[in-house]
Amino acid sequence: MSINTLSACTWIAACICAKDGVISEVEEQTMFRILDERFPDFNAEYFESALTEYFNSNRQIEDYLALVDDKVLRRFALDLAELSASADGLDVRENIALEKAYLIWGIKNNA
Amino acid sequence: MRIGYTVNSAVADVIDNSIAAGAQNIEIYAPPGMDDPRISILDDGWGMDLNELIQNMRIGCKDPSLEREKGDLGRFGSGMKTASFSQARQLTVISKKKNHPLVAARWDIDKIEETNTWCLEVFESHEIPDISGIRLDSSVGSGTQILWSKLTCLDTGSHALDQDAELALRLSELRSYLALHFHRFMSGKNKRVFRLNNMIIEPIDPFMTGAAGYQEGRSEKLRCKGGHIVIKTHVLPHFKNMDAELLDDLGGADGITQKQGLYIYREERLISAGGWLGMARNSQLGALARVQVDIPSSLDNSWSTDVKKASLQMPPRVKRGLRKFLADPIKRSKTVHTYRGKVDTANKFWKICENENTKVITYQIDPGNQLLGSLMQKCDKDERLILISYLKELAQKLPINHIYEKMSERPKDINQGEAEMEALEALLDRVFKG
Repeated sequence: MSINTLSACTWIAACICAKDGVISEVEEQTMFRILDERFPDFNAEYFESALTEYFNSNRQIEDYLALVDDKVLRRFALDLAELSASADGLDVRENIALEKAYLIWGIKNNA
Repeated sequence: MRIGYTVNSAVADVIDNSIAAGAQNIEIYAPPGMDDPRISILDDGWGMDLNELIQNMRIGCKDPSLEREKGDLGRFGSGMKTASFSQARQLTVISKKKNHPLVAARWDIDKIEETNTWCLEVFESHEIPDISGIRLDSSVGSGTQILWSKLTCLDTGSHALDQDAELALRLSELRSYLALHFHRFMSGKNKRVFRLNNMIIEPIDPFMTGAAGYQEGRSEKLRCKGGHIVIKTHVLPHFKNMDAELLDDLGGADGITQKQGLYIYREERLISAGGWLGMARNSQLGALARVQVDIPSSLDNSWSTDVKKASLQMPPRVKRGLRKFLADPIKRSKTVHTYRGKVDTANKFWKICENENTKVITYQIDPGNQLLGSLMQKCDKDERLILISYLKELAQKLPINHIYEKMSERPKDINQGEAEMEALEALLDRVFKG
């Protein structure tokens, strides 16, 4: 899997987690743990760089969603976002952003 | 021109520049007994050459939208000038960069008004040693001295104290302010030496982390643009366990109660001491709760730091993220108080009655007390009625408001164990002799 595509998944998850203002430590740890388990090549350095880039960018969630085409990876990105955002309790705004992502991609939320 | 600066915040703003310039020693000197008092702030930082000095004497010499380097406490590039002019009509800056000669320049508001031109006075090298109040000389490696003369910060009105007393008062307040706001630069890995009129300023730790009874609470790192917001929660020890000197430094029990809340640090420097920024209410029981919030200077724009760096507006989104950390220290502060409350009140002489329906709380003499029981048995009916009526009145006239006020202000001074019994013993003597 390319680093760019995994960075895009990280941006989507970050975008949803940061909807309550900031990304908490537990959200960040959960996000990295899931990425590391599934894609060990996406190391801490890539992850750190992806988060820094996210905070320096003004892009919206729609822009990030447009970067991922693969259906399996889309499902992974949404799972990554949901599990990370839920790590410290899913905030209303985070939930709205997550639902929006499901809607844009036309994926049914099984939860 | 005050623009909201106080002597304390103005000096602190100048010190921010010293720290940003890598100073290890910062010395504030304001000698008493002068006809024209002045305040000098001297550091051993990197210093400036002539070009840098002239550049830095310009107002607003830095773009506030530029991101500051980590550890840079500056903000608008206006601090040194606006802070200085808020307190004095004459600002002289003397500086020396390593391997460069001593340089000096001066803004004098009186001269500007007189000539109606903004003309910076740059000193020739032979004139510099003659500058009145100069403490920097060419033998030092590097450093900068900010010298405020023609002070406007001292009250010279008809009700003013004499000039020296006024200066002494301001310096005493300044010492406490710097000891608190720069406490993280006075100890640990960032340690620098701060002196005020040749005396070292000792840090004041607002969380009393070294005191017996201090409780460290939950901490969290929140990622945001430009770094992390680090949150730590603290609960101070109960007033009775506080060191008297430290309690005094922090404004006594009253000051501690008022200063509960958020302690916001920007690059390790305290910029907001206490208050809940509308996220919780000040309460007597929450008096011991403190939440330390560390923010990087990269957040200046979103936190709306003002030119004095003495106030800020927390972004609503961060407020939401922070709110969940507030309940824990407040709850634990209440526990510290309530626990002590139970110990103090669960005695054999007093009963605390809280009526669930009316919500009325009363303090009553415990009728089940053994001593009172045996006394009653020895009295006849009329004597019992008198005693009961006396005890009822005693409970009703308990000076609750006075006790509350003194417990808030001077809890350490209250010691009922030392209540004098001499008056009661004298009464007994009179009764038996009579």
